[in-house]
Amino acid sequence: MEPPERYGRETAGFETAEKIILRWDSTVSEEAREKMIFEGDRCEVDRYLQAVDEIQRSISSTTISDDDQTKVNSAIQIAMARLEDEFRNILLVHIHALDIDSLLADLGSTSCSRTTSGRESSDFLEDDHLEQDETSTSAAASAAVVRDGGIRGSGSRDVLIHMESSSSAVSSYRSTNSIREVDLIPEETIEDLRSIAERMIAAGYLRECIQVYGSVRKSAVDLNFKRLNVEKLSIGDIQRLEWDALETKIRRWIRAVKVCVRVLFASEKRLCAQIFDGVGTAIDDACFMETVKGPAIQLFNFAEAISISRRSPEKLFKILDLHDALVELLPDIEVVFDSKSSDSIRVQAAEILSRLAEAARGILSEFENAVLREPSKVPVPGGTIHPLTRYSSDPSTPDMDFSELEGKTPLALHLIWIIVILQFNLEGKSKHYKDMSLEHLFMMNNVHYIVQKVKGSPELREMIGDDYLKKMTGKFRQAATRYQRATWVKVLYCLRDEGLHVSGGFSSGVSKSALRERFKSFNAMFEEVHRTQATWLIPDSQLREELRISISEKLIPAYRSFLGRFRSHIESGRHPENYIKYSVEDLETSVLDFFEGYPVSQHLRRRSQ
Amino acid sequence: MPATDCQGSSAATFTNFGRSILSLRRDQVHSMDTIHPDGASSHELELESFQKNVAERISGLSSGPDEILSLSWVQKLLDLFVISQEEFRMILFNNKSLLHRAPMDRLIAEYFERSVKALDVCNAIRDGIEQMRQWQKLIEIVLIALDNQRTFCDGQFRRAKKALIDLAISMLDEKESASALNHRNRSFGRNNNNSSSRDGSSTHHRSLGHYRSLSWSVSRSWSAARQLQAIGNNLAAPKGNEIMATNGLAVVVYTMNSVLLFVMWALVAAIPCQDRGLQVHFYIPRQFHWAGPLLSLHEKILEESKKRDRKNACGLLREIYQIEKGARLMNELSDSVQFPLTEEKETEVRQRVQELSKVCEALKAGLDPLERQVREVFHKIVRSRTEGLDSLGKGHGSD
Repeated sequence: MEPPERYGRETAGFETAEKIILRWDSTVSEEAREKMIFEGDRCEVDRYLQAVDEIQRSISSTTISDDDQTKVNSAIQIAMARLEDEFRNILLVHIHALDIDSLLADLGSTSCSRTTSGRESSDFLEDDHLEQDETSTSAAASAAVVRDGGIRGSGSRDVLIHMESSSSAVSSYRSTNSIREVDLIPEETIEDLRSIAERMIAAGYLRECIQVYGSVRKSAVDLNFKRLNVEKLSIGDIQRLEWDALETKIRRWIRAVKVCVRVLFASEKRLCAQIFDGVGTAIDDACFMETVKGPAIQLFNFAEAISISRRSPEKLFKILDLHDALVELLPDIEVVFDSKSSDSIRVQAAEILSRLAEAARGILSEFENAVLREPSKVPVPGGTIHPLTRYSSDPSTPDMDFSELEGKTPLALHLIWIIVILQFNLEGKSKHYKDMSLEHLFMMNNVHYIVQKVKGSPELREMIGDDYLKKMTGKFRQAATRYQRATWVKVLYCLRDEGLHVSGGFSSGVSKSALRERFKSFNAMFEEVHRTQATWLIPDSQLREELRISISEKLIPAYRSFLGRFRSHIESGRHPENYIKYSVEDLETSVLDFFEGYPVSQHLRRRSQ
Repeated sequence: MPATDCQGSSAATFTNFGRSILSLRRDQVHSMDTIHPDGASSHELELESFQKNVAERISGLSSGPDEILSLSWVQKLLDLFVISQEEFRMILFNNKSLLHRAPMDRLIAEYFERSVKALDVCNAIRDGIEQMRQWQKLIEIVLIALDNQRTFCDGQFRRAKKALIDLAISMLDEKESASALNHRNRSFGRNNNNSSSRDGSSTHHRSLGHYRSLSWSVSRSWSAARQLQAIGNNLAAPKGNEIMATNGLAVVVYTMNSVLLFVMWALVAAIPCQDRGLQVHFYIPRQFHWAGPLLSLHEKILEESKKRDRKNACGLLREIYQIEKGARLMNELSDSVQFPLTEEKETEVRQRVQELSKVCEALKAGLDPLERQVREVFHKIVRSRTEGLDSLGKGHGSD
């Protein structure tokens, strides 16, 4: 940097400076419009800045005439307009997107949610098509050199380097469990920005400076938001979404908000400090707020919408995930948004948190009440699954060993409690069925459903434990057995041997009348059972199949053997078709009608013999 | 219900003229505490009071000390909503046993559905307030340039002019902004050479426009007009049999629905937001006490929106008008000045500066409280809905 040449008179210095300023007036000169000072020769940059300083000095000079005063003011305005454009241009050129992928991976592996962390990171890979190879992360490392400039000291940050996920380049980011600032703009450029900002603020052009800064950096934040899939959704949009779609969005949002608070916003805050610290009072804070206030509100609006959405049981776990993520994030939010002007953001975050907790509590207690007080005495037609069961969470047996409850989380206990109540209620309901077989079928259906649901949800299964699952399984098998006993014992009784033989010996002395009675009763009973139980429903196809097979296994051999032993006696008499109405195949076919939930025609299908 | 014409007739209506809304509320609580020996008429009294209070408050908005559509007026509007909803909650609470019966359960559920739609309006208004803060900051630049100056010179005016142009662009109705950008660039003496991304000003104005779209926290497809239509959808006065079946509560719900719709509509009318449309119709039978005051206020606001110089305003707020006018006049003035300024011109400049300074002060004082109030409305709506759905006991169902 060359020292400026000193002329004899002060005003000569001013004139030189003025010339330089005027030369770069883009309202007047085509050339000035085409080129940017800070993209060109460093000497030109220095010359220009010195010229600005010279003009500044002239303002406070008392030896300047009124005429010159006007010239000075004009020159300042032109210089400031120019510096504003330069400032904006430098910022625009240095809008870089963060390396979102590796950031998501890093933060993902350190997160804790209700699901196992292994599952979370595999979600990343599926959803975001990450490439966790070394080259991409080391490129990020070189593009974003971390400096050791901390902002205000905070207990939650330490300067360790060890990363949880070993695959990414170790040296690039300060890795803690929370805040990680990234260099958004290279050091030399920050020097340039600072040199401009100092002069603008010294000349009283603070507001212009803040406005330009805010508008450009805001678009940088927006760019990163897009890459994090942070959407602009209204509360109405969210209400209209199907739960599955919403679940995905919530998952994405949780990952995004961590990156936003801990990296994106924290880095913007640091950038403001780097450029504006010491330049004036709280200017860095004003710039920071100008940049992130809107985006932060947009971000939190999503969580707010979820916290006020209609409550239903299937939302419980995701709401808890959201809640937990925010609890974890709260200290970082406090650190990043620590100024007075960011009160509203901290307040909003706290409000959302309490609403989420309230929602979770509300869902649980509502459900509890629903289960306990569900008043209907009308049994569910066909013995199928009661609507309440569909919402059931944790199955458990009433005669529970309390030692089994040890070590379970409060949530698990609460869920277990609900299921105890549910079962109690279900059993009460089952008693409303006049037909005992149906009573058992109802219990079988409902308990089986619970078991399937728990098996199908890793969260539930983990919470509930396999022991309970076994108990529950035993319970529905028991209900199945009871059903069979209730229905089929009396039917199969018709096919028993005793009472049919007249003499005590083993020579054929079969009471034809008794035999005919037997056949008639069997037919009547079977028809009755067939007609009735075809309309009963077992919604689960596998269970349905299993039960039918189990029935067949008892029924068919018994009938086959009965037929085999005694048909000749009937066929030797009159109207055998009145008594031997069905072949074995007929029975096999008609068993297939059972538990479909449809009525069948009055007459069983018959095969003409 | 007796047919009373509340339009400025009865002196009794205006005995509370000078009092603030809050003291009105205190009186209301007292009257509701009075226990009548005959339980039935106390219930009727409750419902009747609610109607009358709503009518009085709306009349107060029309004829109160605050200029219609000013910042302080909007605050009173939001007060009206909050207080009315509190009373509404009380009535629901006092009549808990009646809420489960059809058709009351459906009517309440509908109210809560409508109130959820109002939440998005609250969020949009919050964005609008933020936008107005940006304008305030631009005016501050103008004031720094021109306020308290011993002498005026070219440089200051150019600085002010730059800010004024930014302000004008920022206040344009979004549809107009594209064509106006070109015009403004030309008028400021710059070559609108879009191919050169080096041209600070065109990038600047492009980024201004972009910046504005960034400032909405909702998607481009969200529309305040549509949202208002949704809030007012199928809103009709209850039929005789509905009123009978609900012990008169249907009227209370209808009243609250109408207050909700009107307040949201007026907010959208006043504050900038995306796709502001004011075409919502209010069909309210005149037998309701508050019908007259509400419809007349509605009329006044509509009239304002049709005035020649307000037709394309981005918001009908009084202060927005003052900003527009002040900025425009200052802009014209700064175009017309020759240096050195005559004394006449100087006086004119100082006057314009004073006007702008006044509106800037009003914004500084009023925007933060307004934002807080909008958030309060948001929270109150959420709370009322949560409580209401809880007490209905049907759980919240599923979306």
